[in-house]
Amino acid sequence: MAGVMVAVTFVVFSAMNVLGDPLFNVVGFYASVDCDSVLAGETEDVIGTVPGTGKGECEVVAEARAKYHLDDPLPVRYGHWIVGMLQGDFGESYKNQMPVSTILAERLPKSVLLMGMSVVVALGVAIPWGVAAAYRANRGFDRVSTIGSFSLLSIPGFALGIILFYFFVVRWQIFPSRFKDDNLFSRLHSLVLPAISLGLPLAAVYQRLLRTDLITTLQEDFVIMAKAKGLSDRRIMFRHVLRPSLFGMITVVGLNTATLLGGSIIIENIFQIPGFGRELFVSAVRDDNTVVLAGTVVAAAAFVTINTVVDLLYSYLDPRVRRDV
Amino acid sequence: MSDQKQLFKGKTAADRISAQGSDQLSLPRLGFTFWIAISWMVLVIVAAIVAPLLPIADPEEIGVGPRTQGPSWDNWFGTDSNGRDVFSRTIWGARISLVVGFFSIVAGFLIGGTMGVVGGYRRGWTDQALGFIVFVLLSFPVIILFLLISNIVGQGLWEVSIALSIVVVPSVARLARAITITFAEREFVAAARILGATNRRVMVKEILPNVLIPMSALLLLGLGLTIVAEGGLAFLGLSVADGFSWGKMIQLGAAPRTLQTAPWVAFFPIGAMFFTVLSLNWAGDRLRQHFDIRELGIGGR
Repeated sequence: MAGVMVAVTFVVFSAMNVLGDPLFNVVGFYASVDCDSVLAGETEDVIGTVPGTGKGECEVVAEARAKYHLDDPLPVRYGHWIVGMLQGDFGESYKNQMPVSTILAERLPKSVLLMGMSVVVALGVAIPWGVAAAYRANRGFDRVSTIGSFSLLSIPGFALGIILFYFFVVRWQIFPSRFKDDNLFSRLHSLVLPAISLGLPLAAVYQRLLRTDLITTLQEDFVIMAKAKGLSDRRIMFRHVLRPSLFGMITVVGLNTATLLGGSIIIENIFQIPGFGRELFVSAVRDDNTVVLAGTVVAAAAFVTINTVVDLLYSYLDPRVRRDV
Repeated sequence: MSDQKQLFKGKTAADRISAQGSDQLSLPRLGFTFWIAISWMVLVIVAAIVAPLLPIADPEEIGVGPRTQGPSWDNWFGTDSNGRDVFSRTIWGARISLVVGFFSIVAGFLIGGTMGVVGGYRRGWTDQALGFIVFVLLSFPVIILFLLISNIVGQGLWEVSIALSIVVVPSVARLARAITITFAEREFVAAARILGATNRRVMVKEILPNVLIPMSALLLLGLGLTIVAEGGLAFLGLSVADGFSWGKMIQLGAAPRTLQTAPWVAFFPIGAMFFTVLSLNWAGDRLRQHFDIRELGIGGR
């Protein structure tokens, strides 16, 4: 896992440092000033550079060089960064000199809340739906619901977001047009539509997976056994069949949930949520390297963590996995 | 190419015989809904190709009709705030959406498929290294990955397609690897190796044809995925710099003022994208069942 994190951060770190001039990204066009001669006192105002730049600006440049270790070679700089990161120091934003951890601490909770609500929507819809569809597979309800789930699956999240935004915000004005951070209720209230936009298409995916696995499990001998014992259909479905059928779905839930964290940029844009995805995107466009790096670390860590949790869930769901380990 | 066609025909013929005969496990039929989906795709593709010949308004011409007018007999999909015809823009917008979607899924299949087949056949450290790359690609936030690549290659039509293909590479590589493994130990592969075929020849001549058939279903599902992904990029202003696609149209139509006064500007390209992706998903799923590939949830990301 550590290997993945190192690979991910190193790729981003080198790409951002090689593709753009980091000094330029920190100090802007002052980076092109020939500061060595200015500081040495040879010239006050170098031809071809910015007029009116003097010692003051050049000191800022020198300070930035020292602060971000810009005179060191790339591997050394990466080393500096990773040592700081391991001590919990993500550095400062290139653009507004705020500590990156402060920025993330402000942005992340909103996105995590949105992620959680989306998962609740997705599973809350998918599990009952999948059970109902598999209970009488290939009959009336299942056929109609197959068309329904394929339709949902085919709506891009952002398109669903715009449609919901149009009806519930513009037309009927039931939900606010931007994120309101007053209290818990207003936070939950303004995240309802974004959570539905992200969760519903996922619910369709999960429903398909769960339905397939439920149908397979329903053909097992122990189901006939349970039926012969006289257990009710409901009890068989929820106590005996559902649990062993959750594996396929949970694997995909794990893969998708983590990507929600950094991948909800468009939804955060539509509903004006100042969240993590939006910050990551804006920083990447502005070449704010430190923020992008920290954001990538967080997103990759979330991906790795959630998939580890899913692995642990397997052993909870299936006692056989526990015994093997 | 002709080999593939024969294989395809042989399979459906065998399927028909087994369905007529005993009640053995027969492959599901494609069904007429499959052909409805295919018809829609053909309609969209043909309309996109012959767009310059169609008797429709110039998509970029301002003031073709009255400004901000709902659907009418003259302008079937209405007009936007510049008086441009939304119907003709929807047809023209299909061009970039389809081309970028198509080339990125093809590139994704070439890259991911090669990784999967090589990894699944060679196994050992090659497989582990490729698996690591796939996991790293999955751990990236997609948008960062895309921005990094498009920073290097640029924002032209081909460049965006290449950058976008990275989105599907991990899923394709995983699937190709899984299918390759089921064939790599089979007798005909062993026979080819005993006859002295090189590894490369075994992979290309023996394994690849067997991997390609089931993967073809995924090609349709993946195309739906890349069309949506292009829409998302266009929505963020990151897709092809010149021209416009459905995603770009949706972005323009979703601006608060436009959405309030002229929702049809966004809704018609959304509808076009929706029906296209729906028919791709549906046709792909029918094909997948037809070839009996286990559901892997590729539509999720």
